[in-house]
Amino acid sequence: MDLMTRRGFALSADTVASGGAGSSELSARLKVLFETKLNAAMRMYLDTCARCGICVESCHVYASMPETRYSAVGRAEVVRKIFRRYFKVQGRFAPWLGEVLEFDDDTVRRLYDAAYSCTGCRRCMVHCPFGIDTQQIMGIAKALLLGADQEPKILSMLSDMSVTKGETIVDTRDAFAQALGNLEGEVLALWPKVTKRADGSPNAAIPYGQQGARVLYVALSGSHSMVNAAAIMNAARESWTISSFEAVNFAAFVGDSAKMKLIAARIVNEAKALGVAEVAIVECGTAYRVMRHMMGPQPFKVVAFVELIARYVKEGRIRLDDSLLEGDVTYHDPCQIARNGGIYEEPREVLRAVTPRFVELTPNRAENWCCGGGGGLISMGEMDFRMKSSKVKAEQIAASGAKVITTACENCHSQLVDLNEHYGLGLKVEFLSAIVAKALIS
Amino acid sequence: MGPEAVSAATEVAAGAVSAGAVSAVSAASSLPPTGLALVLAKVSWFIVVPGFYIALAFALVALVWRLVVIFRAPPPPFQLAIYPAPRSAFGAAMRDAFGMPQVRRKDPVFWVFLMVFHIGLFGIFFGHVDILPQVSLVREGSRDMIGAGVFGLMVTVPVFWFIGRRFKSPVREISTPGDYILLLLLLFTFLLGDLMSWGNSWTAQGFVMTKADFATYFDGLLKFKFEDPRVYLHGTHYHFLTLHLLLAEATLMVLPFTKVMHAFLSLPVNVVRRRVWT
Repeated sequence: MDLMTRRGFALSADTVASGGAGSSELSARLKVLFETKLNAAMRMYLDTCARCGICVESCHVYASMPETRYSAVGRAEVVRKIFRRYFKVQGRFAPWLGEVLEFDDDTVRRLYDAAYSCTGCRRCMVHCPFGIDTQQIMGIAKALLLGADQEPKILSMLSDMSVTKGETIVDTRDAFAQALGNLEGEVLALWPKVTKRADGSPNAAIPYGQQGARVLYVALSGSHSMVNAAAIMNAARESWTISSFEAVNFAAFVGDSAKMKLIAARIVNEAKALGVAEVAIVECGTAYRVMRHMMGPQPFKVVAFVELIARYVKEGRIRLDDSLLEGDVTYHDPCQIARNGGIYEEPREVLRAVTPRFVELTPNRAENWCCGGGGGLISMGEMDFRMKSSKVKAEQIAASGAKVITTACENCHSQLVDLNEHYGLGLKVEFLSAIVAKALIS
Repeated sequence: MGPEAVSAATEVAAGAVSAGAVSAVSAASSLPPTGLALVLAKVSWFIVVPGFYIALAFALVALVWRLVVIFRAPPPPFQLAIYPAPRSAFGAAMRDAFGMPQVRRKDPVFWVFLMVFHIGLFGIFFGHVDILPQVSLVREGSRDMIGAGVFGLMVTVPVFWFIGRRFKSPVREISTPGDYILLLLLLFTFLLGDLMSWGNSWTAQGFVMTKADFATYFDGLLKFKFEDPRVYLHGTHYHFLTLHLLLAEATLMVLPFTKVMHAFLSLPVNVVRRRVWT
């Protein structure tokens, strides 16, 4: 059974009324949509694959559930077969050669199956002899699903909510400031001192709207993403302020590049207005990658929060108790921060400061297995699929013998918590910022 | 030219690899072919002379067109690199494209066959270039093509292996009919090429069609003489040459529309993976 059917999705009434996804009007629209995605890299990704099969076993989903449709090439071929049909000579004269696919309801189902079984971890890209980016190819699949009105509605809804929040921020500023004030006690419990304003007066535990602050910290909606970070930055005597917006970018998950930029642009504009030197992104892999690598050059530097912590440790701006954690402690490299963001060593430097018993997962860094929660799957629920498709991840963690697993990504954390429970791994799952905040000493 | 004449020509040609033999064949060829033989002779000539120009021109134009379409497309809107970032993106991409370290790590046997195959491709390319009388990459007067047939084996044996691999899971499940047809096209082109470079020396008298004969044919192509190479390419091997040319021309013509494009895109696509710019 394909994912779409299993998830109880039916083709929308509009699609069915218009003759299904195969209707000529919709097909023409989807073809145009496809064409908008054909940049030079994408054309090379679609034309270069030799179907050598080297990537097949790279995917954690395939490694856990060995079906071709769950391999990188299996997923990409769905898009490639549409490409051959509508954009290649072969599709016109000898479609059977490439087993092309037309835009119809079955193809839409296959696109959904491919796109939303891929977490966009890009582990396959490490192994591909050509470096084909399956996440980008799945971007086409997601765009086509949007065009056919068959995307996961929860992701569209969350994405729209983010956009709306950006439009109504003026009305909600006071309520947000009040909510931040309610968290002060929790922050002070971790680190009782607060930074001072330029005039010497004490700052709020979570400063908000501070013009001229050095760092703009972009959190998530959950208080844990604010409290720990606030304690750490206050301990480091950082000049910082919190963003009005949450970092998460649901539009990136659903493949809506226009909304993705709109959501990220709210933060860019805020950072410019405040005149900050750095924007520190909360422990959220996708938010970091979007802001750091997808928004073009900015007048400020973009860092992942873990980089900021590592800098504080290195410069001696924070001191940490390394005796709080019991047993071996390991680290899960979030794909969007590590393999796709280049942050490998900083989290390890931080962990070595909080425990003498840091152990690596095998494989790790660029070769690390994805947790299985990315690409919007956490937001979509998908517990059954996430657990089955991440069996290899659970085995990897169990083999490490660690008692604590840390990570620096919200999605990874949620997925690791679920895996821990589902597979009875008996671990503590922690955010890096959480263990650092708890270990702060004066 | 009737079958008897060809047979006589073959016997004469096999008996002496010399200018004398050539003249004997020329004499045999001078008998005007009729009927089906005439049609076949014309088809053969079309394949080995104008067909070559057509295929080459078509492949070049189509290749340039495909590359223009690809490289005139907008660049990717953001960085698509993976980390760790190499010191030199181009250097790393060169290593990826020509050394295929990813394949070596995941499937060393496949890597060996791939390396042998691709080196062999370079070998047969230069082997063909060396046939031109204006070029001399090996010692003057050598009777063999470069590699004396070894490069032919270097491409042929791996193709057998590639076909076998494609019939095995999980590669079988990701293969399309086009993948098999392309491999078969290459296989038969190479096998017939082996027959030219190597198999046609398996006679008591050595080469039936000598390197010098091929040189005359190549020279004719280079100078657009449009003459019938049957005059100096002897014996029944000529039909295999015709088939070799036919399949090679088909390969050339489909090349720009198939995954063989990776020959031209492997380096730039690897640069995309390696280039860190944000």
